[in-house]
Amino acid sequence: MSGNQANLKLQPEPAAGTAPAILSVDDVVKRFETPDGPVVAVDHMSLDVRQGEFVSVIGPSGCGKSTLFNLIGGLLSPTEGRISIAGEEVRGPHPSIGMVFQEESTFPWRSVEENVAFSLEVQGVGKAERLERARHFIAMVGLRGFERRYPTELSGGMRQRVAMARTLAFEPKLLLMDEPFAALDEQTRLLLGDKVLQIQQELNQTVVLITHNITEAVQLSDRILIMTYRPGRTKRFVEIKLPRPRTSEIVGSDAFGHYVAEIWNDLREEASKGMHDQETMAERRRR
Amino acid sequence: MATTGVVTGAAPGWRPDAVTLVRAAIIAAVLILWQLLAISGLLYQDVVPPLQAIAVALIRLLGSGDFYANLWASLYETAVALVVGGGAALFVGIVLGGSRFLGRAFEPYLYYLGPTPKIIFFPIMIMWFGVGPGSKMAMGALSCFFPVALSVAVGMRAIPPILIRVGQSFRASQAQMVTKVYLPAMREPVVNGFRLGFGIALIGVLLAETKLSNQGLGFLVIQNYQRFDMPAMYALIIVIFALSMLANAGISRLTAPRSRRGGAH
Repeated sequence: MSGNQANLKLQPEPAAGTAPAILSVDDVVKRFETPDGPVVAVDHMSLDVRQGEFVSVIGPSGCGKSTLFNLIGGLLSPTEGRISIAGEEVRGPHPSIGMVFQEESTFPWRSVEENVAFSLEVQGVGKAERLERARHFIAMVGLRGFERRYPTELSGGMRQRVAMARTLAFEPKLLLMDEPFAALDEQTRLLLGDKVLQIQQELNQTVVLITHNITEAVQLSDRILIMTYRPGRTKRFVEIKLPRPRTSEIVGSDAFGHYVAEIWNDLREEASKGMHDQETMAERRRR
Repeated sequence: MATTGVVTGAAPGWRPDAVTLVRAAIIAAVLILWQLLAISGLLYQDVVPPLQAIAVALIRLLGSGDFYANLWASLYETAVALVVGGGAALFVGIVLGGSRFLGRAFEPYLYYLGPTPKIIFFPIMIMWFGVGPGSKMAMGALSCFFPVALSVAVGMRAIPPILIRVGQSFRASQAQMVTKVYLPAMREPVVNGFRLGFGIALIGVLLAETKLSNQGLGFLVIQNYQRFDMPAMYALIIVIFALSMLANAGISRLTAPRSRRGGAH
């Protein structure tokens, strides 16, 4: 089994384009010490992302996707290996990396514009300037007119766009997102996908998206990394050669369906392992 | 002003509801009972003076400069106590609430010392800070430290972890985390802690004043008691009660979250 896995790991990444890697994850391992002994969440993973590239990391629940997210974002440090952004090693939250979280993360005591201006405020940008810059990004995510509203007055999808605008205002070289639309319904998710595509195009933004949603990954990505279930390893990279600029209309195309089927084929095996594992654990807990 | 939030009463055509009527009835009943007791002479009239005697004493009290000097002395001592004790408690609460290890190591002591009557430390405070206002402030600060610290520690733990991760991801400094994330996120527990702390600081200060002092409301109460001027003593008690209610109401106004306070900014 381990030989097979190693083989998969050694498969060369598809190299499309010649731009140098802006994000480099180099043979990273993350082990957690638990009362039941060490658990390997991320096992020797490597990933290079080029400037302007959109890479999704997809895998079943519990495969270590979120650990990888926190490692790249600098909220966790790797047990082994190295992560670097634009040539600098990531040792904690880095000014070149902006994170968008899965959970509800807007500050409820701040209005939309104050939320979006948060990162600028932390950097010490003056009030007039930071609010003006915040308004630019609020317009970009399509929330013009809601600047003075508070998060409780907005829908879940709108709040997630506020969170995204807040991170974009940080002007990161890498936009790192962890299932930002997981809590939203499918239609909202597709429409927000369009928004993301448009923004990515406009800013030539490099994006790493962590997701478990195959449609979302194919709709948005240039390249998809499929992870194995526990320990989280690289199973395979899939290059998505759908034309750009894209919109959600592409969801109906044959090529799209083909990619979804291909990825599901790979994910199925991992997802069933995960499901089996969780059922066993639930069974054990029940006894 | 927009009224998205709390009902503030007194709208045109407002009529008292059942709760308000019962509350008023309770006050009326107490006053009537008191007056009956005073007139009946079952207890000595000196001990239970009739309402009109208390009213006269109240007017005389509110008209005397002596009262205001003592009032300011007590309020000043309480304010200093709240700033010093509450400030220290805010710091300690954030540290203990923010660290699982420190919280587990130190918090039990806060729980043990919290309910201990602080007046037993008064002799020590006199030795450290003298017989003047210093020892009263120290008593108030010591008293209010515990409820505020515990309330802040609990509030820290109730902050959604995601908001802390957001702050960290944007590289907020420790000081920025406190002012821009922790404090706004736990505004309610902090304000409630200080509200509780104010009352307890006031108790600490007045109690200390009754023991050993030459100024303050607590001193006035004891002075009147020693002169056996019961109407004046009751008048003072009424004034202290009213002051506490006023201060409490003032602090509660702060708890209304900003987003619901209404009105554009």
